[in-house]
Amino acid sequence: MLEQILVNGLLASLIYVIMALGFTLIFGIMRIVNFAHGEFYMLGAMVVLFLFGALGWPFYLAVIAGGVVSALLGVVLERLLFRPLVGDELSGMIMSLAVGIILQSIALIAFGPAEQAMPRPFSGTWSLVGAAVPWDRTVVAICSLLILAVFYLFLKYSRLGLAMQAVAQDPQTASLMGIESGVVYAAAFGIACLLAGLAGGLMAPIYTVGPYMGELPMLKAFVVVILGGLGSLPGAVLGGLLIGLSESVLTTAFNSTAALIASFVIVLLVVITRPTGLLGRSTR
Amino acid sequence: MKPLHIFLAIVLLALVPWLLDSQYVFHIATMIAIMVPMALGMNLMLRIGQLTMAMPAFMGIGAYGSALLAIRLEVPPLLALPAGALMAGVLAAAVGPVFLRIKGVYFVLLTYAFGQIINLVFQEWTGLFGGNNGLYGIPKFSLFGLRLTATPQYYLMGLLLAALVYLAVRAIERSDIGAIFQSLNENEMLSRAIGSNAMAWRIAAFTFSALAAGLSGGLYAFYIGFLSPDAFGFRLSVDLIVINAVGGVHSALGPVLGAILMVPLPEMLRDARQYQLLIYGLSLMVFLIFIRKGLASLIQRPRSAA
Repeated sequence: MLEQILVNGLLASLIYVIMALGFTLIFGIMRIVNFAHGEFYMLGAMVVLFLFGALGWPFYLAVIAGGVVSALLGVVLERLLFRPLVGDELSGMIMSLAVGIILQSIALIAFGPAEQAMPRPFSGTWSLVGAAVPWDRTVVAICSLLILAVFYLFLKYSRLGLAMQAVAQDPQTASLMGIESGVVYAAAFGIACLLAGLAGGLMAPIYTVGPYMGELPMLKAFVVVILGGLGSLPGAVLGGLLIGLSESVLTTAFNSTAALIASFVIVLLVVITRPTGLLGRSTR
Repeated sequence: MKPLHIFLAIVLLALVPWLLDSQYVFHIATMIAIMVPMALGMNLMLRIGQLTMAMPAFMGIGAYGSALLAIRLEVPPLLALPAGALMAGVLAAAVGPVFLRIKGVYFVLLTYAFGQIINLVFQEWTGLFGGNNGLYGIPKFSLFGLRLTATPQYYLMGLLLAALVYLAVRAIERSDIGAIFQSLNENEMLSRAIGSNAMAWRIAAFTFSALAAGLSGGLYAFYIGFLSPDAFGFRLSVDLIVINAVGGVHSALGPVLGAILMVPLPEMLRDARQYQLLIYGLSLMVFLIFIRKGLASLIQRPRSAA
């Protein structure tokens, strides 16, 4: 029983971490709370529904295509709509609300409100320390770990990754050192949307696909990021694990609404007592 | 157009439903009237520079509060409506001292989480609030034994309520309090240095916004006769931002205009929600692009023009 709760929690938290990393990356670099983040998740899932479900492409190729489409859209929207608002946190946030609403309405016009399912690429379960683990969730978990590893290596060793860290730490000094902030903004937004698109694509066969599917993952990413600290990458990982596990426990003990209430109460308390979150920096 | 002309045009517009005498027009007009106090409450918060996402929660508390008082305790609606609004106001006054210390994006996130919690409680506590199946059996509003059943009667009530809140905001705007609110947004340090009790005024504005939302909620409950948590969700906050963005944040007239322009949309596009969303999103976007400096520049009245 306990093993099962832990395994469920860990499997859920990996996707939360992927979503939360993108969300927090955009805030850390552009100071924009991206309320449209869930829509990029939805876009990734829609692409997989079309390429894998309808056209029969290989699953992994469809997922990568979903991530790429989502990233390209992110880069375009960043340049056209978000770049002019960098530095104005409130306007940036409202712009993200507008973008989210528009993407959702376009999905509604194109796909209709019905939830659609696709054939599952993986089925069956295997057993880990006495807990039953479905294969499809296992694939999602392995892919998530792979994405996390690549993302970590990118930040740690590539020039662009280092530049992104520098801008997040101190944009003025970074620009004095000759870092093009525009390139970094585009990269951050694109990578965040890539992560969201990949997450959506991976999860698409597990749940159904529809225009509103991005709302819940967005809400989770939001909770995770506040808990870990807006703009903090390690915070997103820690927050994702904490929320995933606590949710698994609370859902088993009570129900999923109670778990959601608990997570928002945590957000409320964190913002009041320590607005920078568990691992956020207090000054900038 | 001068503000006086716009004001007169709105007064004339308010009379249109009686001229057309259509049930449908009366319904839309009533929904506008219900939205106006909410939009004005949001306006006041925007003026002190704190974008709140708690309005739907306070509207919900007003709505469920007055409905439950009328259903469970058989309190006369004339008393239940202000009592529901008072509940929202008291809650705002209680959480205000803690919430309003937080500024900027964090205040938005805080009020967003608060709104979500209240809404989830409406969903989860089915014994009291009816959950997602909704709360039925709300009696019609009655005044000294006269039961209000026709839409025009509710429209008249809505007009009175909207006018009341509008006049209150106008009065605040023109008094010294208006200047203090303005100073809270522009330079709080200076404002405190010349002796204004900044925190107390912030709490006052927050409580006022909650009272206005509670009144809207109460009237909504008696008019519609049925409550469901999804009416008091995140979308309503977005609607209020859109209304203020479209109408303008400078004067009390702005949110009234915004409500008249934007509220009929969902009613007219009832079967085509996707286009309604598209129009809302695009109008927000256009507003943000053309007012280059964003919302803040609108909230802070341009000094040359003032």
